[in-house]
Amino acid sequence: MGNTGLNELQTWKAKEVVSVNGVTIECCNLTKTFGGLKAVDDVSVTFEAGKVTALIGPNGAGKTTLFHLISGFLRPDSGQIFYRGRRIDGLPPWRIAQMGIGRLFQDVRVFGKLSALDNVRVAFRKQSGENPLWTVVRRLKVNREEQTFTEEAKRLLQFVGLSELENALAEDLSYGQQKLLTIARLLAAGADVFLLDEPTAGVNPEMVRSLLSLIRRLAEEGKTVVVIEHNMNVVMEIADWVFFMDEGQIIAFGLPEEVLGDRAVRTAYLGI
Amino acid sequence: MSRPNLKSVKREIADAFMEESKMLWQLLANGFVNGCLFALTAFGFALIYNTTRIFHIAHGAIYTAGAYLCYVFLVKLGWNMPLAIILALTLTALLGILTELLVYAPLERRGASLLVALLSSLGLYIALVNFIAMVFGNETKVLRPGVEATFHFGPIILTRIQFAQVITACVLLPLLLLLLRLTDWGKKIRALRDNPTLTEVMGVNTRVVRLFVFALGSALAGISAVLSALDIGMDPHIGMPALLIAAVALIIGGVGTFEGPIIGAFLLCILQSLVIWQVSARWMDAVTFGLLIFFLLFRPQGLLGQRRRLEEALT
Amino acid sequence: MNYLWHILVMINIYIILALSFNLVAGYTGLLSLCHAAFYGIGAYATTLLMMKAGWGFFPSLLAAILLTGVLSLIIAVPSLRLRGDYFVLATLGFQIIVFTILYNWVSLTRGPYGIPGIPIPKVFGVEVNTVFRYFLFSGVIAGFCSLLLWMLKTSPFGRVLKAIREDEIAAAALGKNVSGLKVTAFAIAAGFAAVPGALFAGYMRYIDPTSFTLMESVFIIAIIIIGGAGNFIGPVVGAAFMVLLPEALRFLHIPDAIAANMRQIIYGLLLIILMRYRPQGLFGEYGFE
Repeated sequence: MGNTGLNELQTWKAKEVVSVNGVTIECCNLTKTFGGLKAVDDVSVTFEAGKVTALIGPNGAGKTTLFHLISGFLRPDSGQIFYRGRRIDGLPPWRIAQMGIGRLFQDVRVFGKLSALDNVRVAFRKQSGENPLWTVVRRLKVNREEQTFTEEAKRLLQFVGLSELENALAEDLSYGQQKLLTIARLLAAGADVFLLDEPTAGVNPEMVRSLLSLIRRLAEEGKTVVVIEHNMNVVMEIADWVFFMDEGQIIAFGLPEEVLGDRAVRTAYLGI
Repeated sequence: MSRPNLKSVKREIADAFMEESKMLWQLLANGFVNGCLFALTAFGFALIYNTTRIFHIAHGAIYTAGAYLCYVFLVKLGWNMPLAIILALTLTALLGILTELLVYAPLERRGASLLVALLSSLGLYIALVNFIAMVFGNETKVLRPGVEATFHFGPIILTRIQFAQVITACVLLPLLLLLLRLTDWGKKIRALRDNPTLTEVMGVNTRVVRLFVFALGSALAGISAVLSALDIGMDPHIGMPALLIAAVALIIGGVGTFEGPIIGAFLLCILQSLVIWQVSARWMDAVTFGLLIFFLLFRPQGLLGQRRRLEEALT
Repeated sequence: MNYLWHILVMINIYIILALSFNLVAGYTGLLSLCHAAFYGIGAYATTLLMMKAGWGFFPSLLAAILLTGVLSLIIAVPSLRLRGDYFVLATLGFQIIVFTILYNWVSLTRGPYGIPGIPIPKVFGVEVNTVFRYFLFSGVIAGFCSLLLWMLKTSPFGRVLKAIREDEIAAAALGKNVSGLKVTAFAIAAGFAAVPGALFAGYMRYIDPTSFTLMESVFIIAIIIIGGAGNFIGPVVGAAFMVLLPEALRFLHIPDAIAANMRQIIYGLLLIILMRYRPQGLFGEYGFE
């Protein structure tokens, strides 16, 4: 294959990681193997606040596995993960989520038998009503709190254009609608770091536009946004920085136009 | 009362010790014989569970049905033993096939979860066992009245039927393991265990393999039930303990393996004998299921199974 | 008339059992086979506290609820990380072990002989000594338990349990402490199961281990499946149906000898048919999928 052109790009080495002020997520030499297959192979990356970082590469390159590692659903065989200087690998997923690392799944994962509204409402953090004792003893306070959550949830549903479907069961929504629902859910949970696994796949074109502006706005608000994306136009449009992964390794990184402009990447991966 | 002299006391102690060790040998032998019986049931259960992943509770009812079918032919109709047993086993296998056709296959086609299959199986167990109880009554039935001839092997006494149980298991189980390795059907069964989707893609008719597995597994339960009933008789509820021991044997032996449940059954039955020896038969169940929970928590892959990481299921 | 009140007492008892079990099976999606064990622990704990420690009914009941809730942690904490049928098996093991203990710890439970002469519960000094009074008594308690369980199920707590049932991974990704919430739900359900245990003991005035067998756990599952899991009405309908079915058979003049088996056959066939065509039961919303 035409790998030669890749040499023109900087090839990643762990030593080159420079700790910048804006770095929120730092992965050092992460390795994860599945039965001999190295899904993630000695990967070191950093993600910065206020930036949209795109993770691209062919299927099976290890992008989603990397997300699983960061969000705690998989444990790395070796290597470390830091979030704002705190080591997070080995923590259970819900703790990592509570620290502010939000995750959008490739396979939407809505709560099928819950209404769209409940899908969003359940996501809010610090609900005193989740404590069974409080729901009985402090019912009024819980109800008041619930009202604000409901209003906020409706606002978010409106934002993603699902207002009219708030009472529909999530399992009855179309794939694209479910995707939008999970985005509303993620926004309700609130996060500092957004790991978005193919957020635009299956979403209709005009919704893609507002999604992209949402992603940009999140970054402008100082959030860390990491996107796994296959649509290169999208990458060109929103990414500040691109990592190219293949066979579990970071093969190249740089500005979008650098990475995507590289002839080798284009032939090896994009087929154009 | 005369003072017992030291010699006779010593003798008594020695006798008691002999008795004790004799009892231990006998209990271990009984454990081994039970192990033979339950290994057959467990192997049948494992055939079904390993390939279909259905927690086939109705296996217990099919076990009961096997014993009662034999009772009908042998006692009610008075036919000769080989014929009665062969007919009973054939019908038991057929019952297994019907279970798959009428209960599990439709669920499989609908893509229902395994919990749904488990609950259907539970329903089938309840319905079948109570049907048997309704027809035959709850009291114990015997297949062969009278006293059995016994064989003495040193301190161990085995009845003729216990001897037959050992022989059957010792011939059948190695043979089945061998057939699973060598024959075409065996390969298909193992392929289905390893990867159902891939097996189907490879052009194997998995539905037929499943039917075969149910037939064979049920027949094995039938054999074990008939052999046990010939020895100690039967009532409609013999199936549940047999099923539970089979399931526990599979878990501790190793889900996904075919040797595991056999080893598990022997271990379990010998352990039960030791519990009877040292504690009391009344605590047998607690020990059996304590062992099950221990394995589920600390070694869910069992003795022989390979560790399947839960997290791999995620990606 | 007593016959009617008797049936209603039994329905009250099974409504609490079904609604508490629904919190585990219907809301959290955990098919547990040991609910009858908690029912039994509740019955024995209340009885023994009343008879050996001389406590009144309500203090004994409260202590029994706490004890059952705490004991449930023994099985809940380790086995909740098991999935699907492994969890079912672990709870089955626990059920059988609890039964074996009730049956064999003769010095405490009198084992198979059971405990006769359980004191009649008193409310404000009044003995609940007629079937009608017991119907009112159990009705008020069942109503109170239902209210509490309804409050739990319609709260954000109930909602997050449902979310866990639907997708554990997504719930964890939203920062929900999945195992903590599951354990909590399991312990609450177990604690509630102690209440019908106490009611049963006070009503029958005699208990033995055979009321708290594996088949009783299966019976509770059947209630949930036939009525329907995951909402409020399903378990109530299921409990009423399952208690009334034997009485209906009696009215059809089916001889007693086969009526018991007939009833079980109907339960069994209903389970199979519902799982095939309507796994969410008659009125439920969750079908164990």
